[in-house]
Amino acid sequence: MMNTDSEQNSVDFEESWDAYELDPTFVNSRREAIVIFISWFVAMCWAVPYCYFNGYNIADPADIPTTFGIPSWVVWGIGAPWIAADLFTTWFCFRFMQDDDLGVAGDEEYLAHNTGGVE
Amino acid sequence: MFDSLSLLIGQGESGNAVLITFLIYIVAVFVIAGLSNKLLQGRNFLSEYFLGSRGLGVWAFALTLAATSSSGGSFMGFPAKIYSHGWVLALWIGSYMVVPICVMGLLGKRINQVARTSGAITIPDVLRDRFNNATFGLISVALIIFFMTFNLVAQFKAGSEILRTLLGPIEAFNSVVQSLPSWFADFSSESTDYTFCLMVFGIAVIVYTTYGGFHAVVWTDVMQGIVMVVGVVIMLPLAINQASNAIDPGESTKTGMALVTEEMGKMLPPRYLTLVIESTEALEADVSIAQGTWLSSQGFALYGDSDRIFRTTKRYILEKRSGVAVVEAIEIISDNDRQRSWRALEAQNAAKTETAADLGKLKVRRVLNKASLHIPEGYPVAIEDISLQPGLLLPFEGKDGKQRIAMLYSILTPKEKRTPGAPLDIFLFQIQYTEGRILETELAGYAEQIQEAPSLADLKIADFDEGFYAHGASEDQRGAYLTAPGPHRTEANGFLPLSLAISFFFMWAISGTGQPSNMVRLMAFKDTLTLRRSIFTVAIYYTLIYIPLVVIFCCARVLLPGMEAEADRIMPQMAVTLTSNIGMGWLAGLLIAAPFAAVMSTVDSFLLMISSALVRDIYQRNMNPNATEDKIKKLSYFFTLVVGLGALVGAMYPPEFLQDIIVYTGSGLAAAFLAPVVFALYWPRSNHQGCIAAMLGGFGTHLAMYCIGFLNGDGFTPYRLFGTDPIILGLVASFIVGYVVTINMPPPVDAIVKKYFYKKVEE
Repeated sequence: MMNTDSEQNSVDFEESWDAYELDPTFVNSRREAIVIFISWFVAMCWAVPYCYFNGYNIADPADIPTTFGIPSWVVWGIGAPWIAADLFTTWFCFRFMQDDDLGVAGDEEYLAHNTGGVE
Repeated sequence: MFDSLSLLIGQGESGNAVLITFLIYIVAVFVIAGLSNKLLQGRNFLSEYFLGSRGLGVWAFALTLAATSSSGGSFMGFPAKIYSHGWVLALWIGSYMVVPICVMGLLGKRINQVARTSGAITIPDVLRDRFNNATFGLISVALIIFFMTFNLVAQFKAGSEILRTLLGPIEAFNSVVQSLPSWFADFSSESTDYTFCLMVFGIAVIVYTTYGGFHAVVWTDVMQGIVMVVGVVIMLPLAINQASNAIDPGESTKTGMALVTEEMGKMLPPRYLTLVIESTEALEADVSIAQGTWLSSQGFALYGDSDRIFRTTKRYILEKRSGVAVVEAIEIISDNDRQRSWRALEAQNAAKTETAADLGKLKVRRVLNKASLHIPEGYPVAIEDISLQPGLLLPFEGKDGKQRIAMLYSILTPKEKRTPGAPLDIFLFQIQYTEGRILETELAGYAEQIQEAPSLADLKIADFDEGFYAHGASEDQRGAYLTAPGPHRTEANGFLPLSLAISFFFMWAISGTGQPSNMVRLMAFKDTLTLRRSIFTVAIYYTLIYIPLVVIFCCARVLLPGMEAEADRIMPQMAVTLTSNIGMGWLAGLLIAAPFAAVMSTVDSFLLMISSALVRDIYQRNMNPNATEDKIKKLSYFFTLVVGLGALVGAMYPPEFLQDIIVYTGSGLAAAFLAPVVFALYWPRSNHQGCIAAMLGGFGTHLAMYCIGFLNGDGFTPYRLFGTDPIILGLVASFIVGYVVTINMPPPVDAIVKKYFYKKVEE
C-alpha cells in the first residue's frame, strides 16, 4: 500500500529554529481568516439591528412600507447588506486573497507518476 | 386570472411529462457514476474514491460545496418555513450573505495545505496526523459516525418523501404501488408508496455513490447544483406573475409583487381544529380522505356560520358502515384566503375522479376543541362511574371573559390512565355562538344536570385549545406575515424572536464552517486560484437562490392557500402549479428535481464520509496499515454499500422528528469540530489534549441542552439559554474549554510545530 505522507513536506526536526520562518501560506491564511471573521461580524451588526428596529414590533403590520414590492425592512436590512457582502466577496477574492503554495501530497506524486502529471 | 387552484387536484394531467423528465435526470446521474468509475483506474484508490485526487476545479468545487451544504432543507424545509411564517425568513436565512466566504475562506486554504502536508484523506486523518495522536482520530471518527448516521436516515426519509410527492399524482405510479404484493407493506412502518419511493431513491443513491465514489458525487452535485439554480430562476417570474394575477385587486392600485405583499398583509394564520364529518348520502364503499382534502359546512349553519371551510391535515378512511369520521384539519380564516379556498374546494369536488364524487357528499357537522378536564382529588364518585358521557354540559369562561358553555364529545385519555386528581384529555364543542336566549336554555340545562348529580359541578375545564396561533392570529397582529418575528402556532414570541435571529447568524455561517462534510471538500480543491474563484461563484450562486426562494414562497401563500399542515409539500406543489399554468407541465419534473437533487447531493456526501471513516480511519489507520490496495478497494465498496443499506433500513422505520434530527446533527457536528479544527490550523501552541477537550466540551454542552429540554418535557426541543440556540453555547464552551486545557498542558513538540507552521528559510 502506498504511503500517502508526502516526503516533500518533511522537515529536519533536529535543526535549530533559526533555519525556519513562519510559513507564508499559514500567515496569509490567518490574516484572511481574521478579515473574513470581521466581515461576518459586520454583516450581523448591519442586518440584525436594522431588522430589529424596522421589522419587529410594528404598530400596524398590514400597512408596512414596501420597496420594489418587498417590505422595506427586508430590502434594507437583508437585501442591501447581501449585495454589499457580494461586492466585498468579489474584492476579497480578486484583490485581497493571496495565491499560496499548498504543497503536494504523497498521493498526488503517485498520480503524477502514474499518469504523467498532476491533474 | 389563472385557474391555478384547480391544479391542487388536477396536477396528474401533466404527470407523464413530469415522470419522463425526471427519469432522464436519474439516467444522467448513472451515466456520471459510470464515467467516474473509469477515473478510478490507474489512480491511488483511496485518494481518488474519497477525495477526487485533490484535483477539483472551480465549477466542480464550487457547486459540490454549494449543493452539499444546501441539503434537502433548502428546497423542502426552507420553502415550508417561508410559507408558514412569511417574510421573516429573509432574516432567518440572512447570514447566507457571508456563508460562502466564511465556509470556504475561514478554513479552506489552511486545511487544504495541512491535508496535503500530512497526506490526510479524511477529517479524522487531519486531526490525527496534525497532533500525531491516534486517540484523537478515533474520537473524531466516533462522533462523525454518530452524527452522520442519524442524519443519513433522516435524509433518506426526506428523499423518499420528495419522490412520493412528485410521483403521487401520476397514475402509472399509483398502479405500480397498488400492484405490489401485500408482503411489501410489511417492510416498513410507513405506507406502501413511501416504502416504494424509499427503495427507488435509496438504491439509486447507494448504487451511484458506491460505484463512482467522490467524483461521481461531485459531478452529480454539479449537475444538481445547476438544476437547483435553473429551477429557482425559472420559478421566480412565474410565481410573481401568477400570484399577482390570482389576486382580485379591488381598489388597490398596486401590481406585481407589491400587490402580493399587500395581500399577505391581510392574511391571518389558520386555526387548527378537529372535525366531525359525515356523509349526506349513503356510501357505496369506504371513502379515502387524502391529506389536504377540502371540506366545508356547505350551507349547514355551523355555530352561526354556514360558509366555514377546512382542509384535512392527515389521511383518513371514512367507513361506509358508520358514514362518520373524526378528522384533524385547519380552518381558513382570512376572507381573501377563503375566497380562493372555496374555488379550490369546488375544483376538487368537480374533478373527474371516483373519490371526487364521494368527497362532494361530505359535510362538516361539528367542530371539536381539545381541552383538559380537571377532576378534583377526593372526587366523591369513582372516576369510571362518573357519568362522563357525551352531551355533558361544561361551563367555562372565554378569553374575552364572557360566560360560555361547551358540550363533552369524547374522552381521549385511555381508561386505565384515568385517575382522580389528574386531568382528563377531552374533546368538546362550544356552544359559543349561541348567546342570548340559547345560552340561557343551555345554562338551564346545566342547572338541571347539577341538580341530578351535584358532584359534576366540581369538574372544571382547563387548557382549552381554541386552535389559534399563539402569535399572529389576533386582529391587531394581522399582517404578521410581513413582519418579524412572524406568526407561530405554539410560540407566543413568534417564529423568530431577536435571540434566535442572532443564533441563526451563527448557525449558518459559523456552524456551516464547522461541518466535516464541508471541510472534506476544502481538502479537495486544486489550488488557491480555484479557491478564490469558487468563493465568488458560490456567493453569486446563493444570491440567486435564497432571496428568490423567499419571494417565490411568499407568492405561494397567495397561489396555494391552506398548505400549512403539509407545508413540506409546498415546493413540488408550487412547481407543478406554476408550470401547468403555462402549459409546460414537463418543466415541473426539472423543478421538482431540484429538492430531490439537493437531498441526493447531501446523502451521497454523508455516505462517503461514513464509509471513509470506517475504511480509512478505523481499518487502515488502526487495524491493518499494510492492507493491499485491492483489499481497500473492496472494503470501500462494501462499506459504502452496507452503510447505505443500513440507512435505508433505518428509514423504513423513520424517526418522527425529521427536521429536528437534521438540525441537531448539523449544529452538533459544528459544536464538536469547529474549535478543534480552528486550533489545529491556526494555533501553533495547540495540543491534542486541548483539542480533544474542545471537541468533547462542544459535543457535551450541545447534547446537554437537548437533554435538559427532554427532561423538561419538551421532547426534541432543546433548552435555550437566554433564548439562544444550543449551537452558540456549544461553540463558546468548546473554544473556552479547548483554550483552558491547552495552556495548562505541555506545548507540542517542535517537530510538529515546524512541520505544520514553518518552512525552511531559503538560502
